[in-house]
Amino acid sequence: MPTTASSAAPAVSMSVSLHPDPIDPCQQLEQWQAQLQAGGAEGPAATSLFIGRVRGRTVSGAPLDALELEHYPGMTEGQLQRLTAACARRHPVAAVLVRHRTGLVLCGDAIVVVAVLADRRGPAQRCCQELLEALKHDAPFWKREWSSGMGEWLLGNTPLVEAPTT
Amino acid sequence: MSASQPNYTDPPAAAPTVRVRLFAALREAMGWSEQQVAAAANPATPLELWQQLDLAGAWLAATGAPAGAAPAGEGLPAGIRVAINQQFAEAHTPLADGDELAFLPPISGG
Repeated sequence: MPTTASSAAPAVSMSVSLHPDPIDPCQQLEQWQAQLQAGGAEGPAATSLFIGRVRGRTVSGAPLDALELEHYPGMTEGQLQRLTAACARRHPVAAVLVRHRTGLVLCGDAIVVVAVLADRRGPAQRCCQELLEALKHDAPFWKREWSSGMGEWLLGNTPLVEAPTT
Repeated sequence: MSASQPNYTDPPAAAPTVRVRLFAALREAMGWSEQQVAAAANPATPLELWQQLDLAGAWLAATGAPAGAAPAGEGLPAGIRVAINQQFAEAHTPLADGDELAFLPPISGG
């Protein structure tokens, strides 16, 4: 009978995908959690969720018609997988979901969904925040704002607003 | 069936031909999204291809630099990143024949 070595951390379940059509974040989350618990196992106690949606105004304040998301087929998927795996290795989490739109996204529609399941709230929240920042900087996407029939490429991300000090 | 011996009369390897890909504002500034490019230098690096393809002027125009402005630095402009075979790479990485080289404008995802 083989001896049991000290058990390695269980593999983190990752679900990462790009979507050219509109996504319903809550439906994506429900379907994913249903799949994870299909075997009857109890789900982790903590869920951290982020949904990013298209604002109704451009960076300069004009009304936005739509946001166009270009990506690098092949590299974008690969980078999302690598970034997700790296974040999941740095935190004790059980499962990570990433959904990202491509193509034309309308005002109010979801661009990105990041969800993390873990036993504890700290790792769930930290992993979720870290992964979102990582994909905003290192996953090849480019946004073009369309307003009054004119398109303008964004040359970077909106800054992460720091927490108030008081 | 002798082991292969180095042939000192072999000609040096030819400069690589790479598939260059552009995205977003850079693609629109240049008017093309991909090209097979025979590198002029050997060995060739992403920085040398950037210069060979004269991408700097197009990028300056795309980012609204004043007319006549020229990049003073020796490297790629700030914000432009390089990917070789769909992995981020440094501008001085030597390229191999058949590589896919992409110049990526500043990323804005999420």
